[in-house]
Amino acid sequence: MNKNGYLNEIRLMILPAIVVFVSMLCASCEDLLEENPKTLAVEKFYNTAEEVETAVHAVYGTLRSNTMVEQVVILDAHTDWGYGRGSRADYNNLQGFNAANINNAGSRWNMFYLAIRNANLVIQNAPGGSSISQPDIDKNVGEAKFLRAFSYFQLVRNWGAIPLRTEENMTQKDLAKSPVAAVYDLIVSDLTFAENNLPETQALVGKATKYAAKTMLADVYLTLGNYAEARDKANEVIQSGKYSLVTVSGKADFQQKLFGPEIITTPEEIFYFKYSRQAGEGNWILWVLSHPSTGNFNFGGAYAHYSDASNSFYLSWSDDDIRKSLWDKINFGLGPNTLVSSKYIDKNAVEQGRGAGNDLPVYRYADALLIYAEASCMASNGPTAEGMEALNKVRRRAWGFDPNTPSPADFEVTDYTKASFQELVLRERAYEFIFEGKRWYDLKRTGKAAEVIQPAKGITIAEKAYLWPIPVSELDYNKALDPAADQNPGY
Amino acid sequence: MKKKWLNDDLNRLLAKLSKMMRLTTAFIFLAVLTVHAKSYSQQTRLSFSFQKTSIADVLSFIEEESEFYFFYKENELHADRLIDIDVAKEDIHQILDKILTGTNLGYSIIDRYVVIAPKPGENIRATGQQQPRSVAGKVTDSSGAPLPGVSVIIQGTTQGAVSDMNGNYSLTNVPGDAILLFSFVGMRSQEIPVAGKASIDVTLEEEAIGIDEVVAIGYGTIKKSDLTGSVSKVKSGEINAFPSSNLLQALSGRSSGVQVIQNTGAPGASTSIRIRGANSIQGTNEPLYVVDGFPINNPTALNNSDIESIEILKDASSTAIYGSRGANGVVLITTKRGKEGTNFVDFESSYSSQSLIRKLDLMNATEYATLYNTKAVNDGVAPYFTESEIKAFGDGFDWQDLIYGTAPILTTSLNVNGGTQKTKFSISGSVHNQDGIIKGSNYNRYSIRTNLDHQFNKKFSAVLSGTLSRLDTDRKDSGQGSRGNTLIAAQFAPPSLSPYNEDGTYSILSVVYPFVAPDLINPLNFIHEQSSTIRANVALVNAALVFTPVEDLTIRISGGVENRDDRTDSYTTRNFINSDGSASVSTSQYTSLLNENTISYRHSFNDDHQISALAGVTYQDFITTNLSGSGAGFLSDVFETYDLSASVTPGIPGSGYSKSVLLSYLGRINYSFKDKYLATASYRADGSSKFSKGSKWGYFPSAALAWRISEEDFLKDDRVISNLKLRASWGATGSQAIGPYVTLNQLSSGKTVFNDALYNSFAPGTNLPGNLKWETTKQTDFGLDMGIFENRVLITADYYIKNTEDLLNTVVLPSSLGFTRTIQNVGKVQNKGFELGLDAQLARKKDFKWNMSANISFNRNKVIKLYNGEDILTGSVNAVALQDNTRILREGRPIGQFWGYLEDGYDDKGKIKYVDLEPDGKLTSDDKTYLGDYNPDFIYGVSSNMTYKNFELNIFLQGSYGNDIFNLSAVAYAYDFVSGMNMIRDVLYDSWTPTNTDAKYPLVSRNTTVNISDRFIEDGSYLRLKNIQLAYSVPVQKLSLLRSLQVYVSGQNLLTFTGYSGWDPEVNSSGLGVDNKTYPMSKSLTFGFRARF
Repeated sequence: MNKNGYLNEIRLMILPAIVVFVSMLCASCEDLLEENPKTLAVEKFYNTAEEVETAVHAVYGTLRSNTMVEQVVILDAHTDWGYGRGSRADYNNLQGFNAANINNAGSRWNMFYLAIRNANLVIQNAPGGSSISQPDIDKNVGEAKFLRAFSYFQLVRNWGAIPLRTEENMTQKDLAKSPVAAVYDLIVSDLTFAENNLPETQALVGKATKYAAKTMLADVYLTLGNYAEARDKANEVIQSGKYSLVTVSGKADFQQKLFGPEIITTPEEIFYFKYSRQAGEGNWILWVLSHPSTGNFNFGGAYAHYSDASNSFYLSWSDDDIRKSLWDKINFGLGPNTLVSSKYIDKNAVEQGRGAGNDLPVYRYADALLIYAEASCMASNGPTAEGMEALNKVRRRAWGFDPNTPSPADFEVTDYTKASFQELVLRERAYEFIFEGKRWYDLKRTGKAAEVIQPAKGITIAEKAYLWPIPVSELDYNKALDPAADQNPGY
Repeated sequence: MKKKWLNDDLNRLLAKLSKMMRLTTAFIFLAVLTVHAKSYSQQTRLSFSFQKTSIADVLSFIEEESEFYFFYKENELHADRLIDIDVAKEDIHQILDKILTGTNLGYSIIDRYVVIAPKPGENIRATGQQQPRSVAGKVTDSSGAPLPGVSVIIQGTTQGAVSDMNGNYSLTNVPGDAILLFSFVGMRSQEIPVAGKASIDVTLEEEAIGIDEVVAIGYGTIKKSDLTGSVSKVKSGEINAFPSSNLLQALSGRSSGVQVIQNTGAPGASTSIRIRGANSIQGTNEPLYVVDGFPINNPTALNNSDIESIEILKDASSTAIYGSRGANGVVLITTKRGKEGTNFVDFESSYSSQSLIRKLDLMNATEYATLYNTKAVNDGVAPYFTESEIKAFGDGFDWQDLIYGTAPILTTSLNVNGGTQKTKFSISGSVHNQDGIIKGSNYNRYSIRTNLDHQFNKKFSAVLSGTLSRLDTDRKDSGQGSRGNTLIAAQFAPPSLSPYNEDGTYSILSVVYPFVAPDLINPLNFIHEQSSTIRANVALVNAALVFTPVEDLTIRISGGVENRDDRTDSYTTRNFINSDGSASVSTSQYTSLLNENTISYRHSFNDDHQISALAGVTYQDFITTNLSGSGAGFLSDVFETYDLSASVTPGIPGSGYSKSVLLSYLGRINYSFKDKYLATASYRADGSSKFSKGSKWGYFPSAALAWRISEEDFLKDDRVISNLKLRASWGATGSQAIGPYVTLNQLSSGKTVFNDALYNSFAPGTNLPGNLKWETTKQTDFGLDMGIFENRVLITADYYIKNTEDLLNTVVLPSSLGFTRTIQNVGKVQNKGFELGLDAQLARKKDFKWNMSANISFNRNKVIKLYNGEDILTGSVNAVALQDNTRILREGRPIGQFWGYLEDGYDDKGKIKYVDLEPDGKLTSDDKTYLGDYNPDFIYGVSSNMTYKNFELNIFLQGSYGNDIFNLSAVAYAYDFVSGMNMIRDVLYDSWTPTNTDAKYPLVSRNTTVNISDRFIEDGSYLRLKNIQLAYSVPVQKLSLLRSLQVYVSGQNLLTFTGYSGWDPEVNSSGLGVDNKTYPMSKSLTFGFRARF
């Protein structure tokens, strides 16, 4: 082989190698290392009405999770009538939480704050959107503020003073607790904004409306003891004429026409968390509450929360009240008086965990009526005829009568004082809102928890049980909090 | 002239390149080295010059520079005679003629072997005393396999032959008193007097565990004697010693510093490996696996019998060439390749029968009823059973026997190996069929492997390695769970109940016994009515073009594809409890493309300086896509997962995509001086797409020194010490530890419901993206290799310190932020350890040979620094009755630190009391303390291999000492009375009562609660007879087709010594020391044979 031939061969063969080398070493290699995920990024979102709307949906999505069901059933174990089974017994004993239940409370805290973050992202970013109209901004921010208020209302009633995260300080890692009053100020201000910016009706059932905001505002005022405001807000809902109670004639109507899995909406619906018979999109509460032997839920059930027929709450309950029939006596090892709820039933759910179609009521018209009844009495220092009529409407329906026509079940306003009427409303609320998570709040805000629960369950509520522990995930990592001083009493 | 042209040309090109390239250093040294390039080869001519040098030295120089081996008698050659010689581009004949000028010696060249002997006729030995005759025979290795290519020389002559593919040789004209010299590289040479025989069969033995064997290091190989780093080698015999469903299981106990963690005993389940402890908190801590040069995720698709060897790179000097992926060690897997001059077929098959190692000692029906009546009394409710019922129960039903059975493994492999000088091949096909000891579970692997090597001409060759595997797995390993909602948890069903109702339907346990939790499901549901099948096609193909422009310089361009298509079909029938039939199908497609371009150079100067160098650039990308669909509510089970649209409610389909890229430049130099002083330096720069802009590149240098003291004059002729080497190395390696896109603030999609329909939602996840860079592990290693008594005993010892910095670590955020976690480069972890390996030939007589090897490894792990010094609670467990974090990450403590309460007996009601460490009268998280550590104090393996005539006995022991196990399973079988589950017998006989206050278990009551406490921490130390095998080599010399045949019987996991109370100390469900109702391990008995044709 001559010199040039050899050289040519070298060139021929080495060049491809070099080309590969060089191509790898080219200036574009930094481009090779750039990441291009097939997803959206925070920085490039919240620009159009459609984008902002899907961001608002994420707040609903978070609250709709199993944790909201968990919140409801645990609140109802904190009552005169409610019990938790096994590891959940600590909830009904009201002596404070064990380690597992502390963790569980922490995960609900996390969920509410996650909803608040998602709401804050909307409140912060929607106004700066590049192609979104002012009405769309107002409507979506209104929904976000409504849901933020909802979350804080749940937080403040169970944990007391808490870090108050708004769009202003949402990225500030360490944030001190705000006093309860400041939390309520934000709730009232958010709901007022929502009341003024949300439409009277939404095209999609399940989205917050002007009247949902008014009802929650009434509830907030009632909780704060601002009875006149509570009465007025509730009355605005009543006077709107948009809502009415669903008439029932028996247990099955309650199960199907009021809380049934196939209902899209009812005239009674003010604000519900909506579920659908889709795998992963249904209501978990049926699994939590049902017992397999009833067949009320086609995937059995865990009957983790129950009641007891020997409890004075149940014993004093009139058998004529149809709502009382929404309990089945089932002995699953705790004796023959054990009661399992049959309020929520779905025999055609699609899966065990989240496959039932029943919605989870947050505010029903019955709530507006009963808030009005109580607030009008408290504001006027005595029961009013309008208040009594509102109460009677709820009672009549529950007894199977036409809600709008006087019935044998009616109470007479003249039989009641301010105090006894409030008692009466609270009792009616207890019957009406079983497994809707309202009783403990009612007992706490009226200061009646100890006196009601002691005779029913025979326990003295520990002081620490009035507030849930602030989770370690907050205390240990929020450097603005002192793990000892800022923890709720008793933990 | 030619040489100069070449160099100038290369220099110019490289100079141009250097300007273009940012990474110039690697190429500058290449260019420099190229200047010195000379060309030697067997075919090409040699050039050298020696003055006053012994003939022996000249010949050994030629041996090193070529592929020739010389055979001569020193006294005939006068090998110590000094000569002057000067050759320039002369071939071997010309050179030998020069060397042998003026002697009476001649030579002959047989293949690569050069025999130097007196010229015929000048033989001083008197001939004619015995008649010359023909001699023939067969050469085999110690296993009876034929040895081709053995040179057979009549001593003192140039006459000889080479054995053929069947090991046969024949020689003519052999003097009757001649001595035959049999020699083969890697084998001990033998001299055998002919003594008038016409047939001489010879068995050659491998040389004592050779320090001259070649080991793979990243991007190349090196003689073991030249190693500067810490590398362990596991050979094919050990990997293939007994059937195991994956390759990595076979590594357990075989090498020091390597801990094999079995997460479940399910057939085909993945295995974790820790090399020198865990460095990373965020990352997987799994080593990098490299199969024939291809870095892959997990080598489970490979068949054990295809493996030639596994090298485990442990110190940073060895692993730094893998840069950002080397921090957890590197496992190099080399598959079998064809060899020149061979041609054989290996056929192996085995049958194993597996069974449960240990059944839990659960209560029988009478005991069960008695226990739950006791519970009813303690809880103040009416007894569940009457006395007469209890009496009638007897033993009741054994649910463990229903779930577990004996299960076979059948393995078969066929390997065809062959090669000529130009083309070598190895083709194999294998089948591994394994049923699991849990009914309905199995693992089937079918694989085909091809390795091809072809030499086109002197300069070009090509290499192909390819594996195609099909993996079919039926899973029944749904462990964990609580209260009987998984198959393994369901073995705690009441023994007083039976699986079937009288009408043949499955009994519903919670309906028959109202006190039983509805979660406790009749196991038949899982066994018969639920299926989960994973089918995967895995292809791993790697090809390279190797170009050797001049001797010593090799350019290698390779490309490869790893592709894995997975499909999982899960179906729950309408007959499953509370089921309308539900189906899901998910698929994922993983593809990794690899391009590696390396240039390597090897040269020696003046016999004293040996240098080898490597530089390269590599690109690898990793793309995963997935797709899933589901449906619930089926009219009939006939659809299974094959018509999702037939479901009443089709689920929301899902799909995903992720891609990451790794771009790397690497370089390495090995230098040795007089074979005494060895040095290695390497450098790698890695760019990964996963990290933040500006932090994408990581730089990983390493250096190592070794001193072969035994080559020094004062030790060279030592009678005891035959080899002694000291090593020291330092280097930096990295770990990516995070997935793609972690640094980006992405929105994830979700769903919410309005009306009764689904609407989309978008929100960030709960992990706050951070600005991230590499995690870096710096490791220092001091090692010693020693051989004594002619290397009959080999000792390897290493001490190392690994410091991992910029630890990618989860930083917990206040949960009110909405983001609960972020990842930051904070924290340091240290691993320190000592490893010792020992190999000994205890006997090497003709009929009896005994080799033993043992290894032991100590590793100490410590968290040095965490973000703000804050503790991180991890290891969350949820057994319903017990939910908490089990471990703490705290500065100064190991990564596996268990964390919880200390117990203080029972209170007067039989409830567990806990020590109030922070005395405030309350049990708070401040009262928690250290409970134990899952890291073992040491792990060890011992193997013994004895052969007596045709019999071979192998014993392999493996163990772990001082590791703690968190026995979460015990919550189910000893404490969770709420659920009505069966429990271990002890609970009935040793629970708290007012008269038995010192009981093992608390009061039997639904109010009994447990916390994470020392109660659940157990010593997980064990010693296990991993394998014992008796083999017999059937004498087959007489048969022509069959070259060797070995039959064997073996047992795996037959004996285990442990104080652990659960199923098995070796299995833990999270890999982190937690035993949570996991698919148990099995023991097995195996029969098999290995045949070579």
